[in-house]
Amino acid sequence: MQESLTIDEKLEPDKKDVIDEGVEAGLSRLTPQKISQVINQVLTKETGPRFKAYVETCMRCGLCADACNIFLSNDRDPKFSPAAKVKQTILEMIKRKGKVSKQFLKDTVRIAHTECNACKRCSMYCPFGIDIAYMMLQVRRICHKLEITPLYIQDTVNSHSATMNQMWVKEDEWIDTLQWQEEDAREEFENLRIPLDKDGADIMYSVIAPEPKFQAGLIYQTAVIMHAAGLNWTMPSTPGWDNSNMAMYTGDFEISARIAQVHYETAAKLHVKKIVMGECGHAFRSVYDVGNRWVGWAMPPVDLVHAIDFYHDMLTSGKIRVKEKYKKTVTLHDPCNISRGRGLHNKARELVNILCESFIEMTPNREHNYCCGAGGGVINCGPPWKGTRMVNSREKKDQIERTGAEVLIAPCHNCHSGLEDIVEHYGVDMEIKFFGDIIYEVMEKTIYQEKK
Amino acid sequence: MKNEKSWDWHSEKKEIPVKEWQNRFNWVEEHSVSPDGEKIASIVNTDEAEFSVCMNGNIWEETFEKAWCLRFLPDGRLCVLASNDEEWTVCVDGTFWETWFDYIWDLQFTPDGSFVAAAVQKDGQYGMSVNDKAWDSFYENISGAVLSSQGTSAAVVQVDPLGQADIEGFNKGIFAVALNGIAQPEKFMNIWDLAFDSKGEQIASSIRKNRLDYSISKNSRIWEKNFQFSWKPEFINKGASVIAPVRQGGKWLLFKDSVPFWDKSYEQLGKLAIHGDGQKIAAIVSNAYGKWTVSENDKIWDFHCDSMISELFYSDNGSLLIAIFKNQGYWDVAVNGKPWNIKADKLWNPVISSNNEILATRMEKDGTFFLVVNGKVYQEPFDMIFEPKISPNNDKILLKAMKDGIYLRQILSLEKVL
Repeated sequence: MQESLTIDEKLEPDKKDVIDEGVEAGLSRLTPQKISQVINQVLTKETGPRFKAYVETCMRCGLCADACNIFLSNDRDPKFSPAAKVKQTILEMIKRKGKVSKQFLKDTVRIAHTECNACKRCSMYCPFGIDIAYMMLQVRRICHKLEITPLYIQDTVNSHSATMNQMWVKEDEWIDTLQWQEEDAREEFENLRIPLDKDGADIMYSVIAPEPKFQAGLIYQTAVIMHAAGLNWTMPSTPGWDNSNMAMYTGDFEISARIAQVHYETAAKLHVKKIVMGECGHAFRSVYDVGNRWVGWAMPPVDLVHAIDFYHDMLTSGKIRVKEKYKKTVTLHDPCNISRGRGLHNKARELVNILCESFIEMTPNREHNYCCGAGGGVINCGPPWKGTRMVNSREKKDQIERTGAEVLIAPCHNCHSGLEDIVEHYGVDMEIKFFGDIIYEVMEKTIYQEKK
Repeated sequence: MKNEKSWDWHSEKKEIPVKEWQNRFNWVEEHSVSPDGEKIASIVNTDEAEFSVCMNGNIWEETFEKAWCLRFLPDGRLCVLASNDEEWTVCVDGTFWETWFDYIWDLQFTPDGSFVAAAVQKDGQYGMSVNDKAWDSFYENISGAVLSSQGTSAAVVQVDPLGQADIEGFNKGIFAVALNGIAQPEKFMNIWDLAFDSKGEQIASSIRKNRLDYSISKNSRIWEKNFQFSWKPEFINKGASVIAPVRQGGKWLLFKDSVPFWDKSYEQLGKLAIHGDGQKIAAIVSNAYGKWTVSENDKIWDFHCDSMISELFYSDNGSLLIAIFKNQGYWDVAVNGKPWNIKADKLWNPVISSNNEILATRMEKDGTFFLVVNGKVYQEPFDMIFEPKISPNNDKILLKAMKDGIYLRQILSLEKVL
């Protein structure tokens, strides 16, 4: 058995001491044969020319280093550069033909799952455009197959597999929550409805499971927006309502595919024209770019728009009107998966300008924005890793603090939660809001009169 | 349906004004129309936190604190999930089931309407109830409930408790198939895609044995082979065999009873359609990335689309294999590989005539609904069209539609439509 990398010796104590029970239990069951068999199977059977080209093309120029928020947050320590993360993990696996130690794998889990946000910022700065996030996700695929995925994100994937949502929301709890929100919203709009399973509606609205679990008010706000705009919309009562997908981030591509399949089949059964999804970035990546493609849908088989696109359409078409602009100074965080991943950053700015009086750009911004530090499933690795996540978010903290804004708009659930952690941990005086929060606050809440 | 001959196939047009309901009630929910087209009904709000059902302008005597999922059964009875005093049950034609639950959902019924079932929860325990008879045993959780044509019921149930973030407990397998409420002893990590045999006695499913190994279960006996993944299995040969799409070596194949059945492998092989006991078998497949087609008995249609095939099914005699597909942004129908080219924004499954020669459906295009018969679009526009019916002697169409706030029941001669 090989020794772990010497670079491991440089680790700070707090990072070395993280104990993740899921990882520890998984490691305890591994044998050298199993380790090499799995690694070599993934490297030889599940990768192709793309992987080979990336491995052979990287010149170790280091231009990716300054692109990485985690590298910057760790005093530019070279071992946190994207190229070094590849070198410390998958390149070593190749070099050693899969014969690596358990300590090596423990470090590998830490690097791939908690020190890379799979945000793809580094790819923009790589002269060859090497997709290092893809390489890290291959490492996570190996971890998945070795069953050494961090505990909390694995539990999330288990929930996905059993319930088709990420938070163990039971089928009746989901419907009951929608009906409860509908009832509450009727206090404000006498005739407001959240139509369930409306066959032939124009829009199916899908969310991620934290909304019914903890943030049901967001569903309320959306119902108000849909109602005020007079839209023909529905939400499914069946599994398929959750568009999130942590399996995509653990390398459990099979469960990831089943999640995407159920989501789109649900929309097709309801005969809707399009799916509008809430403010979530990773979920967009999953249903627009990853889960759908594993199934074989090159593009979303049912038209799909992120909330930013939807809100932009509502506000520019006049279906939703602003009564009075939002007064507090705001800044905007561009979520990686809908900015670098979809180019929605300019529409997001147009939205801010329609909604708010005072906007301060953070720097860098748009597709060059730094990840929130929570993305790529990092926040889902849970409490054991929160301390290191905070250390790895120092650059993000500095970036948002420099704006001096009172409010930070983060149109993504993971970003939202990660940024909440940052402002709480570092004592930054800043509120975090979704676009939906702002729209709900400033919109004209006229009651829609059905025309037919 | 047996009684379709007794329906009124002669009155050219019947009208029920529906728009006025908006003035009678605080609000009116989605309309549901009976199979014979004689009745139209909606959940209506009658007072603060008070709901009822309005059918043909007449309101049920029963009122509810909450109600949802209003459906006409195939036999013409009207069914709704309703709540009073914070308990829920099924209400059929204004009569409540005797048993009430803490919640009720996933309403299902048999093709003849004689069995009505739903998933239910009482005191945090989960099960099903069929025709007001609840399962004898309830469980920690339930998913994927199914009802056979004979009225037998099944679901995936959680038989062991699971603590927070207990991935070791999950690994042991805490899910089983419950058939008519009785959990089978075999537990798995995951179970999906329950399928009954044609007699409603046996159950097949996709299962996950551990983190990496998937297989197919028939009555909880697992196939010998493990696979990389699988989709929904189906019974053939009068329940003697099970076929399923499985992934092996990165390719999708159709297996029967754990051995290869079709010769070809595919990029993707999904939903199956079966005629009879398996004389004809078809599947939604992809033989090149991002391109979708149909394989019938392992022979691929000379057709493909770029987005999705959402439905695939046979006519009763097996002469027609019908696919609902989306291509270049529009939905369409393909029959035996030949597309209609109607380019719909929304499209529903066609109904098929008893002589297997006529297909009728409805579509929405640019916000207007149209009747479509054998690919020909009937040019009269409507605000909404419900599922049409073809007369037993195959010469008329029963059109059920909404126009300007009036529900219309029209009998159209096929000659006029075609």
